[in-house]
Amino acid sequence: MSYEMIAIFMFASMMLMLMTGQRVFGAIGGVAAVAALTLWGTGGSDIPFSSAMKLMKWYPLLTLPMFIFMGYVLSESKIADDLYKMFHVWMGPLNGGLAIGTIGLMVLVSAMNGLSVAGMAIGATIALPELLRRGYDKKMVTGVIQAGSSLGILVPPSVVLVLYAMIARQPVGQLWLAGVVPGLMMAAMFIIYIVIRCKLNPALGPALPVEERNHSMSEKLALLRAGLLPIVIFFAMMIPFVNGWTSLVESSAIGALTAFLAAVVKRRMTREVFENSVRNTLLISCMFMWIILAALGFGAVFDGLGAVRAIDNLFTEQLGLDPWMILILMQLSFLIMGTFLDDTAMLVIVAPLYVPLVKMLGFDLIWYGVLYTITTQIAYMTPPFGYNLFLMRAMAPKEITLKDIYGSILPFVLVMILALSLIMIFPQIALWLPEYVYAR
Amino acid sequence: MIGFMRAFVRIVDPINRKLGRITMYGIFVMMGILMWSSISKIAFMPSLWTLEVAQFAMVAYYMLGGPYAIQEGANVRMDLFYGEWSTRRKAWFDAFTVLFLIFYLGVLLYGAIESTAYSLEYGERSPTAWRPYIWPIKITMCVGIFLMLLQAISELFKDIATLKGKTL
Amino acid sequence: QSKIKWRMQTYAGAALAEHVITPAINSFNKIAGDEMEIELFFADQLVPTGELFRAMQKGTIDAVQSDDDSMASPTEVTVFGGYFPFASRYSLDVPVLFNQYGLNEIWDEEYSKVGVKHISAGAWDPCHFATKDPITSLEDLKGKRVFTFPTAGRFLSQFGVIPVTLPWEDIEVAMQTGELDGIAWSGITEDYTVGWADVTNYFLTNNISGAWAGSFFANMDRYNELPEHLRELLKVCMDQSHYYRQWWYWGGEASLRVNGPKMELTSIPDEEWKTVEDAAVKFWDEIAAESETKAKVVNIIKQYNADMVKAGRPYRYG
Ligand code: NA
Ligand code: NA
Repeated sequence: MSYEMIAIFMFASMMLMLMTGQRVFGAIGGVAAVAALTLWGTGGSDIPFSSAMKLMKWYPLLTLPMFIFMGYVLSESKIADDLYKMFHVWMGPLNGGLAIGTIGLMVLVSAMNGLSVAGMAIGATIALPELLRRGYDKKMVTGVIQAGSSLGILVPPSVVLVLYAMIARQPVGQLWLAGVVPGLMMAAMFIIYIVIRCKLNPALGPALPVEERNHSMSEKLALLRAGLLPIVIFFAMMIPFVNGWTSLVESSAIGALTAFLAAVVKRRMTREVFENSVRNTLLISCMFMWIILAALGFGAVFDGLGAVRAIDNLFTEQLGLDPWMILILMQLSFLIMGTFLDDTAMLVIVAPLYVPLVKMLGFDLIWYGVLYTITTQIAYMTPPFGYNLFLMRAMAPKEITLKDIYGSILPFVLVMILALSLIMIFPQIALWLPEYVYAR
Repeated sequence: MIGFMRAFVRIVDPINRKLGRITMYGIFVMMGILMWSSISKIAFMPSLWTLEVAQFAMVAYYMLGGPYAIQEGANVRMDLFYGEWSTRRKAWFDAFTVLFLIFYLGVLLYGAIESTAYSLEYGERSPTAWRPYIWPIKITMCVGIFLMLLQAISELFKDIATLKGKTL
Repeated sequence: QSKIKWRMQTYAGAALAEHVITPAINSFNKIAGDEMEIELFFADQLVPTGELFRAMQKGTIDAVQSDDDSMASPTEVTVFGGYFPFASRYSLDVPVLFNQYGLNEIWDEEYSKVGVKHISAGAWDPCHFATKDPITSLEDLKGKRVFTFPTAGRFLSQFGVIPVTLPWEDIEVAMQTGELDGIAWSGITEDYTVGWADVTNYFLTNNISGAWAGSFFANMDRYNELPEHLRELLKVCMDQSHYYRQWWYWGGEASLRVNGPKMELTSIPDEEWKTVEDAAVKFWDEIAAESETKAKVVNIIKQYNADMVKAGRPYRYG
């Protein structure tokens, strides 16, 4: 078989297997195993397991269970409740203020966990019922929570950027810092969008009634203390890391422990919270790890059979496109693949194909990491397949239909695409902070 | 046949469940190792073994926890179509496609056993200054993959039972 | 007859491979034409380094470029690959040891036992420390977490160095994430070529070995299946690759020490460094005590170095 045929055969069978609804890791691993046994030649049967040994050496993956645990502790223990109250009281008087407060909440939650799952859980369980009770438009509300929770992987710490860092062999610290300004910028853009929409149509986000907002100034100031918690967790983790006192994986353990202790101190670490956090951390970590394991095996077989060459060849030689065209095409293909591929699988299978190409074309890989993450976030949210969509469906109350969820994300996706374009045109949005910090 | 399948499921599922319930506390083991690593680095001499032990712990964590994750349905599926199907239809598809998963786990197990045998034969050690033997972690991986395989077969049996209108 | 296809995995990442292997493979493929093609894969690309030897032994990978030490080959000679402390002073020492002092025969015998063909050994660059903080005395080495070779690491740990082994491609990042304080893996040419000069500040001019010993290997069955002339071509191209490295490193080391803008040079005084050299002789004896084959190799290394000292300048100064 020619390289091109192998590439098409392997990709098509994987897609087909995924469509059947089999567990993602089984679908990917199954195709990899069949291809290894039939096409590799002698010794192909060893490739799937040797990927497990490769995975063991990927030490930054230790951050994965840590950040997942952090996220669960935060969402299960409801220590984010106080944060929400803070935003609620301070932002409530504005039209759309609670939605703006929710974005603020999401930014702080993002700084304490590495995935969008926790943001989603906190948003759906704390913010969503409140917002609906106050007569907010349900599409606006679900959109806000989905868009806001996607900040989780752009604002450090971020598991997606850790995975990207391993594939692109770029320093995690710089990638994380590169995500800060774009993350805040995107949050600001969401807020601007909410303000404009609610100005045009106040019914979408009514202000709090007067009797609910007569808090004394001292009460209001006392609420601000809630904001200290995320700051403490974030800096407990980031200061030793950025200063080089502790390594990446050590810092993630400090973060997880700090979050755990915070929950204990606030007397929120009940038996049930403990059970759910510990159990779900195992289940979600296993889910991720097995997908990565299967995808690494798939990648090695795909690569060893020459399929990677076929793809490079297609983009650079046969199509003869200029670098920017190739870059934009790659982003588009990510969005398309994101409609039916699982995100982790997409990261572990597709990124190894694209990253060397991006490097060869002369683009900055830190900058591309940010573009990549935002594109992944958009893919998270776009129907029909998106992790956030499913989570939203699982967590939202009955009155919110799938149609509402699908309909809610369009304006936010457009805002994200605008942000993506801005960062493409002005790379310094992403690169300024890491250059500033690491140039010292 | 249904008797055998029932016996199989009733043996395999509780074992994997118990193992998973023990493994889940591994998060604190990893946290402890990494905290020790940070403290020893800041306070006196960094330890030789922490990163490697943490890596081994992580491998044991997801390998031994894997069967429990399957049992709990934690593994994502692309549910574009699957999500809308009836239980029966899901069982039909799963009963076939799970063979792919079983095949994958079989190949993985074969590789694991081969690699472990090599480790034992040559007394393979990790090429680090600490130089731990590799076979303990490889045997752990063999056990984890083997139990994954049993769990996947258990899922197949449950699907077959669903199609026959029975529960196991 | 269909084209023979081999998969070869090198220890080097893409940037280094540009010099240490890609040119030789391109030549081989050009000359072999329709008869044979070697597809080159970089460090950890198909299989992780830890599984590399086994993969070649089984035929998952057909050929490998590596030193014996970092791929942990299960032979008696593994410790001598890579940087066996102070065994060599110049890069020409290695081919002389293999071709004129009998190491080729020992290697051939050892690798045949485990189903692997040892094609050819060559010398690469010297082993120096590249670090974030300056090293001017042995005291400065204490507590430094350093990426290095397994055997070199074993040797260096007596001076308080904490040896760390990570996938080669992760080193640059590990320097930045704080997993490492330094690298003792190469000369200055490589530090610049692969980007390590960007993440370290200092280069220690004292080395722990003058030249790296590394080799080309192949799966024995695959090798035996090749027609005579392709085996010959393989050998010639591998030797050509060693030759390229001789001048590339030799010239590069001098030029970058003199003109390189990114790393500041520091030294440990010779009298103090003598402690390390003396420790090496003790280390040789420890290794020799482990087995008969190892004793044989250590004796050869001792003999060779004694001969070089007697030969005087330019073989040895002082
Ligand atoms: Na985050
Ligand atoms: Na999507």
